[in-house]
Amino acid sequence: MMASMVANGNRDGQSLVLKGVDPETCMIVFKNHWAQVVKILEKHDPLRSSSSTLPSMGVINLSSSSSGAQRFGNIPGDEANAVQNYVEHMLFLLMEEESGQAGAMGPILEFVVMENVMERLFVWSLRREFTDDMKLEQLKMYEMLVGQAQQPLLHHKPILRPLMMLLSSCSSTAMPEVEAELVLLLHQLCCILAKDLSILELFFHTSEDQGSTNFLIFSLLIPFIHREGSVGQQARDALLLIMSLSAENQRVAKHIAENTYFCPVLATGLSGLYSSLPTKLDIPSEEWHCLHREDWLTVPSLVQFLNSLEFCNAVTQVAHPDIRDQLLSYIYNGFLVPVLAPALHKLTLEEVMTTTAYLDLFLRSVSEPALLQTFLSFILLHRHESVHILDTLISRINTPFQLGTVSLALFRTLIGLYCEDVMLQLVLRYLIPCNHIMLSQRRVVRERDCYSISAARILALTPSCCSPDRSPPPLRQLDSILFSKGADTPHKLSSTAEETNLLSDDGSGNSCTIGSEIYLDVSYLHYLYDARRSISSCTRACQVWSALYDGEDPPPDRYEPGVLEESGLKFRQTALRKVPPSLALPPRPSVPRPAPLPTVGQLELEWDDSYDVCSVQVDTTPVENKPAPFPPAELPKHIQDMRRTATMLVKGSYIEENEFQDDVMVYNLVAKKDTTDADRMELNPGLLQSNENHPSPAEAPVQHALSLKLPPSVVADDGSNGLDSPKTKKQVDCNAIVQNAAAASAERSDDLLAQYEELLRTLDSEAGKKQVKGDGEAKKPVTPRQEEDEEDMDFTCFSAETPEAEKVSAPFGSVHKLRKSGSASRIQSVPFTGPFVSVLLSRLENMLSNSLHVNLLLTGILAQLAAYPQPLLRSFLLNTNLVFQPTVRSLYQVLATVKNQIDEQAARRKELPELITAAQHWLLARETLFMENEQSSSGSSSPFDGARILKNSPPPKPKAISLDRTEVFATVLFTEFLKELAAIAQEHSILSYIPMEE
Amino acid sequence: SRPLVDNEEQSGHGEQRASPSRLPFGKKQLPPIPKTVAPITKPMSTGPPVQSTNGTHASYGPFYLEYSLLAEFTLVIKQKLPGIYVQPSYKSALMWFGVIFIRHGLYQDGVFKFTVYIPDNYPDGDCPKLVFDIPVFHPLVDPVTGELDVRRAFAKWRRNHNHIWQVLMYARTVFYKINTTDPLNPEAAVLYEKDVQLFKSKVVDSVKLCNSHLFDQPKIDDPYAISFSPWNPAVHEEAKERMFAFKRRPEDHHKGTQVSGLSWVKPGSTQPFSKDDNPPQS
Repeated sequence: MMASMVANGNRDGQSLVLKGVDPETCMIVFKNHWAQVVKILEKHDPLRSSSSTLPSMGVINLSSSSSGAQRFGNIPGDEANAVQNYVEHMLFLLMEEESGQAGAMGPILEFVVMENVMERLFVWSLRREFTDDMKLEQLKMYEMLVGQAQQPLLHHKPILRPLMMLLSSCSSTAMPEVEAELVLLLHQLCCILAKDLSILELFFHTSEDQGSTNFLIFSLLIPFIHREGSVGQQARDALLLIMSLSAENQRVAKHIAENTYFCPVLATGLSGLYSSLPTKLDIPSEEWHCLHREDWLTVPSLVQFLNSLEFCNAVTQVAHPDIRDQLLSYIYNGFLVPVLAPALHKLTLEEVMTTTAYLDLFLRSVSEPALLQTFLSFILLHRHESVHILDTLISRINTPFQLGTVSLALFRTLIGLYCEDVMLQLVLRYLIPCNHIMLSQRRVVRERDCYSISAARILALTPSCCSPDRSPPPLRQLDSILFSKGADTPHKLSSTAEETNLLSDDGSGNSCTIGSEIYLDVSYLHYLYDARRSISSCTRACQVWSALYDGEDPPPDRYEPGVLEESGLKFRQTALRKVPPSLALPPRPSVPRPAPLPTVGQLELEWDDSYDVCSVQVDTTPVENKPAPFPPAELPKHIQDMRRTATMLVKGSYIEENEFQDDVMVYNLVAKKDTTDADRMELNPGLLQSNENHPSPAEAPVQHALSLKLPPSVVADDGSNGLDSPKTKKQVDCNAIVQNAAAASAERSDDLLAQYEELLRTLDSEAGKKQVKGDGEAKKPVTPRQEEDEEDMDFTCFSAETPEAEKVSAPFGSVHKLRKSGSASRIQSVPFTGPFVSVLLSRLENMLSNSLHVNLLLTGILAQLAAYPQPLLRSFLLNTNLVFQPTVRSLYQVLATVKNQIDEQAARRKELPELITAAQHWLLARETLFMENEQSSSGSSSPFDGARILKNSPPPKPKAISLDRTEVFATVLFTEFLKELAAIAQEHSILSYIPMEE
Repeated sequence: SRPLVDNEEQSGHGEQRASPSRLPFGKKQLPPIPKTVAPITKPMSTGPPVQSTNGTHASYGPFYLEYSLLAEFTLVIKQKLPGIYVQPSYKSALMWFGVIFIRHGLYQDGVFKFTVYIPDNYPDGDCPKLVFDIPVFHPLVDPVTGELDVRRAFAKWRRNHNHIWQVLMYARTVFYKINTTDPLNPEAAVLYEKDVQLFKSKVVDSVKLCNSHLFDQPKIDDPYAISFSPWNPAVHEEAKERMFAFKRRPEDHHKGTQVSGLSWVKPGSTQPFSKDDNPPQS
């Protein structure tokens, strides 16, 4: 109550104005007051001690004193009031006192320190009823004292110590007002600490005096880490101050990392908060594909989670590396692996979709590279039930309905990070060996398209119904600008006759005299500008990458697949080791993840392809011959424990496995998954056995496994496959024709391409397993003999076919050389551009039946990929002159297929032009709307351009045309996409060759 | 004092500015016509060869041409030809202004301004023309028009093999290695063969003449024409300082978003997160 008087007195503006008052007078007043107070204190002191020494903290039993017992008899009200009045006055005098000469204590402060005034007053409070109200008042008193004192007070133990006692007495309180005041005071103390490091030592020492090594201020803040509202925010701010302090102060860092629960609390708190997120989201519209700010602001639990995630982000940014690494380790092992991984594998589409959307949102919310790295290594390297998260996510792109859309959005985020590791895993690693192109084409990878040949060929795919030449749509015509040279009359000011002469004398001439006019597709200018922006920001971002990816760096024959699991995560384990055993979670499993399974990715691809050609697969593959699937490997105990803990953490949100919904899709999904699992298990035995002993195990077993599935002899002889051989031959011929036709007019080659395309589609997916026997080159048994011997015991029955299998799998001459390195795998042996590209292209091929927003996402992702400056990627996507291996599908081929579909359709439907015009109108109106929104709410910088037409504000419903006419919208979008790609190709031909730095 | 080129004709910088200043999100707003990327037109009547090689849609033809020329220009930048500076005109990407500094030999101290004219069916047409503003006294330079005989070096202009930087290179070479066969200026050729001393003095006169016209108004009125002015410390000193101090920083000339890439791949490795020092701070 004394504090309340002080506080109120001050706040009511009744404070004495001490300016100008003689310091000596103040001192005298202060001493007088204190003498009066001491009289009362001593009167009630049970020890009747007149000395100023105090019992140590150990003697004072806070809990019993706060229980309200007035152990030493009643203190008369008038005496209590008197003390309050005196103290109020005294504190004013103390606050207002200026420090003495050269930073020395002022006389009052000196007196306070000598007489141990604060501590004695605190003990006096304890003696009375120490209620929450009193705590509140005392906290306020200190807050004021600390905040407004004219000289530093906290350096003095006699002031610091009672403060610490007060703080620790508040640690168990539950009254919200006290908490708020406590956090406020702690925040204030942290601010002072951040400014004046010398106090830090004192904080530690004071703690030691109390018999504990606690960094009390810090420990008191920890319970508030995940608190919602302003209290939580203030606590997090205060903690951040200490975090940045830790970056410079080893002692603080060490203490926090080793003696506090800060990191585990923070990380497991994420898991707790995650568990309270809705497991299913109400999807506002069919167009919805990711959580925007407007979406998550309406979900309080999500806001709270993001606050904590943001805090983790900030801690990662400012804290000492020890703390940071520990935190990241806990986030990985305490949140991502045990909570998010299973959540990504829930059983209903909706739940999986929701988790995917959350993951996407988290990735977009995290900015600190180290934290992002933790998330990304989870996605790229972690295996859930032996499948990489990444592969699972990729496979979901192909799922129909919302899950596929949301997965696309996630990948749009991923590739927008300009992260080498992501791009490496998604695409580049399949391109590095250069197996996707003919050997002679490798130099073409780096070639520059000086004359926009590729752009021209891409634009030549414009469907005739959308051609700007034939009937420029009204909208575009409005936009057309006149490229008029004549109007400029550049030489009207020409002064010398010589010049006029010069310019006019030559008939074949100097083209600056051209006077003709032409309508240009002006929208193309915008695409060019967007392309320029997109490529240059991407190029700048990629300067931090480790390699050029130009077909030489890294060298194609030095690609090392597999063995990517542990290396990157070592630091986490080291970080963990520093944690006391009681705190440490089990370290990341090292035993159960030995298998560098290049086959997993492959199988995922098969999953994708089976989407298209499932029936073919089933018919031709001798499924019955497969050995029974292995039972799932038993997980190590500590993993199971962790999983159990995680399950408990998320409050049983996984129990739904039992209350399985009657959802056909779910069953399909599970069934599909099971098949994949079975396949995988089938491959596993060889791998598991060989992995333990052999450093480079992947190659041979894979081939055995492949031959096991479908021995080459089957490809050639089996009656059901009789179609294959002629097809393959035809395909090769066709390929040759296509190559020849490349130089000829693009128009003509379209038909050929379409046929080629058709053939490829049936063969392509099977190629992965059957190793299409199309290549006449290089039939060498390449596996070193000894390795084969080692495998013999497992694969005796197939060993006879081994050379045959390899024969077909060797696509060209260089394979022999590659194999000698011992690191070869299927990735190198069969031309294959990876599941990601494969699934994107297969969705693109179905463009006409995709919904508008799926197509927007799809084309956005492809455009973003095409904007990457790495020659391998650029040439693969954009160079129409590049000759690919027969089994490799290029973007151009798929585009040609779509064009043919559109042309066919246009021929059948007479009403199409009108519909197209209507769709164009609507799309442009929609874009204008977004543009306005964009400008009104400027500052929301989307990472790349493709995103901006995908903002989630619903556009007006098209009047003249139903959105269900996906083929009409797809046609318009296709045409625009061609322009976008062509523009990117053109800008590449310039930008990629401008030296970035001299 | 030494004259300094007024225009920022250093090829590297020229390209810098070539990036049109358009609105970032202005799809519906027409951008100002880009500056160096000048609108180029191609007559509709241009023959089928161009159409077939450059694509089927005439409306994109100008874009192909323009980008082909831009590609040529970036090639020129890359070559870093000694003593040669070029800049496409404002009005047409088919017309480039240039200047060549001769640093030694017979034509030492010569500063020759020239214009390159590129045929509008580039790259399938004839080789570009190179015309000196003032006809330099040289066997291969037409004494009336100032045109350099380029064709002898590029009898047939072949796409993919011939590039404009080669023409510029050639223009430089002719001043160091005199060729007198089939001269456009027979007088110069004969003198060089018969009376080198007289030839030399004529060259010196010619160089003097050219240099005396250095500060003239550009012959072609174009915002990007190269013009010289006498040294003026108030104007030039600072620019000179900057040229010497200037290090091009890619992030400097791009507004706003601090996009930066991420990589934890160890150089030489093809494995993600292979860097030892984790986690890196960029």
